[in-house]
Amino acid sequence: MLAALLVAAVAAVVFGTIHIGVADAWQALVGGGDAVTRFVIRDLRLPRVVLAALLGAGLGISGAALQGVLRNPLAEPYLLGVSGGAAVGAVIAVSAGLAIALVPLAAFAGAVAAVVVALFVAHATRSRGDPRVLVMAGVVVGAFANAAIMLLLANSDANTVRNAVWWMMGSAANATWAQTAWLGAYVAAGGGLLVAMARTLDALALGDDSAAGLGVEVASASRLVYLTASLVAAATVAAAGLVGFVGLVVPHIARRLGASGHRALLLSSALVGATLVIAADLVARVALPPAELPLGAVTAVLGVPFFLATLRRMT
Amino acid sequence: MAMTAVAVRVHEPSSHLREVLLLRLARLAALVGRCASVGALTLACDPARSTPHAAPWYGVDDFGDTIRPPTRPARIVSLNPTTTEILFALGAGPRLVGRTQYDRWPDSARFVPDLGPGIRPNVEAVLAAHPDLVLLYGSEDNRAAAQQLRQAGIATAAFKVDRIEQFDRLTRLLGRVIGDSARGALVADTVRRTLDSARALTRGLPRPTVVMPAWDSPLLVIGGGSFLSELVEIAGGRNVYDSSSAPSPAVAFEDIVRLDPDFILASPESTKRLKQRARWRALRAMRSGAILLLDTTVVGRPAVRLGESAMSLVRLLHPGVIR
Repeated sequence: MLAALLVAAVAAVVFGTIHIGVADAWQALVGGGDAVTRFVIRDLRLPRVVLAALLGAGLGISGAALQGVLRNPLAEPYLLGVSGGAAVGAVIAVSAGLAIALVPLAAFAGAVAAVVVALFVAHATRSRGDPRVLVMAGVVVGAFANAAIMLLLANSDANTVRNAVWWMMGSAANATWAQTAWLGAYVAAGGGLLVAMARTLDALALGDDSAAGLGVEVASASRLVYLTASLVAAATVAAAGLVGFVGLVVPHIARRLGASGHRALLLSSALVGATLVIAADLVARVALPPAELPLGAVTAVLGVPFFLATLRRMT
Repeated sequence: MAMTAVAVRVHEPSSHLREVLLLRLARLAALVGRCASVGALTLACDPARSTPHAAPWYGVDDFGDTIRPPTRPARIVSLNPTTTEILFALGAGPRLVGRTQYDRWPDSARFVPDLGPGIRPNVEAVLAAHPDLVLLYGSEDNRAAAQQLRQAGIATAAFKVDRIEQFDRLTRLLGRVIGDSARGALVADTVRRTLDSARALTRGLPRPTVVMPAWDSPLLVIGGGSFLSELVEIAGGRNVYDSSSAPSPAVAFEDIVRLDPDFILASPESTKRLKQRARWRALRAMRSGAILLLDTTVVGRPAVRLGESAMSLVRLLHPGVIR
């Protein structure tokens, strides 16, 4: 898996609109070569590859943790309102004419708000920790968010609609080192916490009663996993918009590749996710030059065949 | 600026980038020094007070970034059909090394390399053209590209041209930027004079009202924020949606029926579509066949052919006025 990730990363740094040979790319990486090549490699492609890797790792880990805690193979951060909430935040920011730099902040706030509302709704039903109620609450919050987006966009001018739609399709094109560092911190902290809770997730997978029998505080542990996984997903959304399908499909691919137990599953989901998004971003950049394809669409196009193959072997 | 500084610090600056950064800081310091106040009020800066050696003051672009072109830019990428058209009119066509896939006018623009989309442009493709000045379309989603290009040490300027006055200002500005302000003034004045004569031709005549459908589903019409609305006004008509500040507001069909325009002004293609839609028969103008066909080869964007466009509208709205 590590080898695949490295191959994808090297390919993504070497290939692009401008043709740069491997030797020249290496030269530029270590600070040689002409200024344009150096800028392209070090300030355009490299931050993009790192950002794509972090997006994939974050969404992969988030999806694996949510599928574990909710005991639902269809669970993923976007299904549970994170994407909807983030999109409402972003669309409000775009249509209010706020500077584009504030959109990530608004998206993050929207995502967190949606997660909190979903948790609150689930809590209000007094069905503490029942994963089915949590899934339903997330789906309903997501549906409400979608309606809000449509209302906001229906009367917006063409530029606003295009900005919002592009944002919803996800893209790593605007990667900067500062942004990458932020996302790295979130993914490392959140992912680290989830990996540390791997044993708890293993216990939760056996069912609430068995987990309680093993000494797990089911309700609070579930809530912590749910919140952490959602926050990691929210951070990725703030950095690059909505990159669909990764959170859903990557844990299944990781399982298929032999990961058993949540520690192995979370770690290999991070690796598989990073590889998938780096590859998807490379395809997005080079498939139709000089135009770029939306990253969220390419991840789905690459991910679906994998997912279908997995599904066939499972049944 | 802050973003650039962060990125450079994290990333071990090459000497080139460091130079660019220092140069910019120095320029910023010089700028602040001669301005009465900073920020949104940069326009209040007094260029006369600048030292004789300082770079000429070109103002800020639509992103609020100070325009700092090289003296006599020689390799220009224009990612905006309007600026491409203006540059050709200014005689700077041969200096273009890149355009968008949509820049097809004038004909010689087709010989300029196509660098793809003008919205969310491919920064790598732009860099590969080795430009010394990049003109962008001033839409919010182009900010990141502008920032990346500036970080690479390339001058950028972003403009959004929706109205005639913006065209006038931009043409004079680009004239100065390419080092031929006389030509810039000449082109702008020629367009202005043609518009003035169109206005003079229709002065005192009755003003028919028009609706200009721009899109059918959702129903969008040309609003007062668009140069087309201004052109109709100059050509002696009145756009029924001239009070809307948007270039193409979405409206309810019934509202068009309520406003009961004298004419429908549309391109031949959209006229064909409108005629297939039964609901448009609800309009008096449609029933009486009061449809004016917009000559889309002339009336396209707010650029060099604005004067010509106004004249073609005079011919449509007031046939017989021009002999």
